[in-house]
Amino acid sequence: MKKDQIQKVLLSGVGLVILLYVYFSFFLGPLNRSRDNMLAAIRDKQAKLASSQDNLTKSAKLELQAKAATSRFAALKALSPEGAPIAWFPPRMKTFFSTQGIDKATARMENNSTFKQAELASWVKYSWLIDIPQADYARLGKAIAELENVEPLLTVNKISIRATPDQPELQQVVLSATNVIEKR
Amino acid sequence: MALHLNLLHEQISEQRQRQRDPLKIGTIVLIGLGALFALYYGWNAYRTLAIKSQLSAVEREWSKIEPKVTAAEKRSAELNSIVKTTAVLDDYIDHRFFWAPFLEKLARCVAPNTQLTSLEGTVTEDNKAVSVSIEGVAAGREPRSAAEDLRQMLTEQLGQSYSDVKVEFKALDDLDTIANIAGGMNMAHYILAVTFQPTAKAKPTPAPTRASKR
Repeated sequence: MKKDQIQKVLLSGVGLVILLYVYFSFFLGPLNRSRDNMLAAIRDKQAKLASSQDNLTKSAKLELQAKAATSRFAALKALSPEGAPIAWFPPRMKTFFSTQGIDKATARMENNSTFKQAELASWVKYSWLIDIPQADYARLGKAIAELENVEPLLTVNKISIRATPDQPELQQVVLSATNVIEKR
Repeated sequence: MALHLNLLHEQISEQRQRQRDPLKIGTIVLIGLGALFALYYGWNAYRTLAIKSQLSAVEREWSKIEPKVTAAEKRSAELNSIVKTTAVLDDYIDHRFFWAPFLEKLARCVAPNTQLTSLEGTVTEDNKAVSVSIEGVAAGREPRSAAEDLRQMLTEQLGQSYSDVKVEFKALDDLDTIANIAGGMNMAHYILAVTFQPTAKAKPTPAPTRASKR
């Protein structure tokens, strides 16, 4: 080959390399990347679709299984009316004991505290002192039984019963109780 | 032999030279390769477009289901939280100590000749132990014996429902006062310390049912 022919062959080779570089870097490469990304997105979405069906089925099953728990939870929540507990709890206790035939019962709040358990993060423990100046022992026992039945979230922690000196048939009672109330 | 004169020799050799021009051949090869690459690119672009339409279809399907799935996941989390909270609250409710059955048992143990003047009862925060202090007076020919009867009766009665029952005298003193019962009885003052552990046997006393008013 002549010198000019060798130059032309080299030029053609350089042209070919440039063509291949441009083709793979600026045309085929981005296209393949875009296709790979789309395939990955399809796989991801299909996996989500498959798991979503499972989730929907599980959620429907859970809804059925948790029916009893939700109704019980609603009933427990309904025990605490709207508003500050100090506004409704003392009148409720007064009314309760008066319906049991025990008058002049007063309740006052001692303190409140939160629970350590994460499940009860939205519930607060309120401590109350229920003072009953005079009550007949039998009637008091029945009232406490009724109280323990109708107020499942109330626990009597301390009980103090003292005979009144001037009226031996009546007792002076102080109950220290804790009530679990939902945060409002 | 006839003599042939090739008068076009120069033109023919020039034409052959042109045909063998490497630049021309290279250009033809490049154009061929370019055409092949363009075809290959077109084929890939077609496949990519098909995948894109497939992706669009999947995304449409997902966008239809996604709100339902998100709502279901949220509801599941809420339900799980409700179930756990209810379980903890039920545990709290079930492990309360009920005072009414205790007071009922205590009332059964008190004989006519023993009187209670004070009762102080406490439950530990974990509802695992109950301690009660009972103060009173007993009357009789042997008032200490009447107080001991009360202690024994309490031990027996409470032992039926609770575990680790201990009923001990903290104090038992004779009093100078005479009770005016059946011609005068000696009296004794006592303080009983009662401790026990509530067990699963203890249930809340059924609430008394009221007779309907007629």
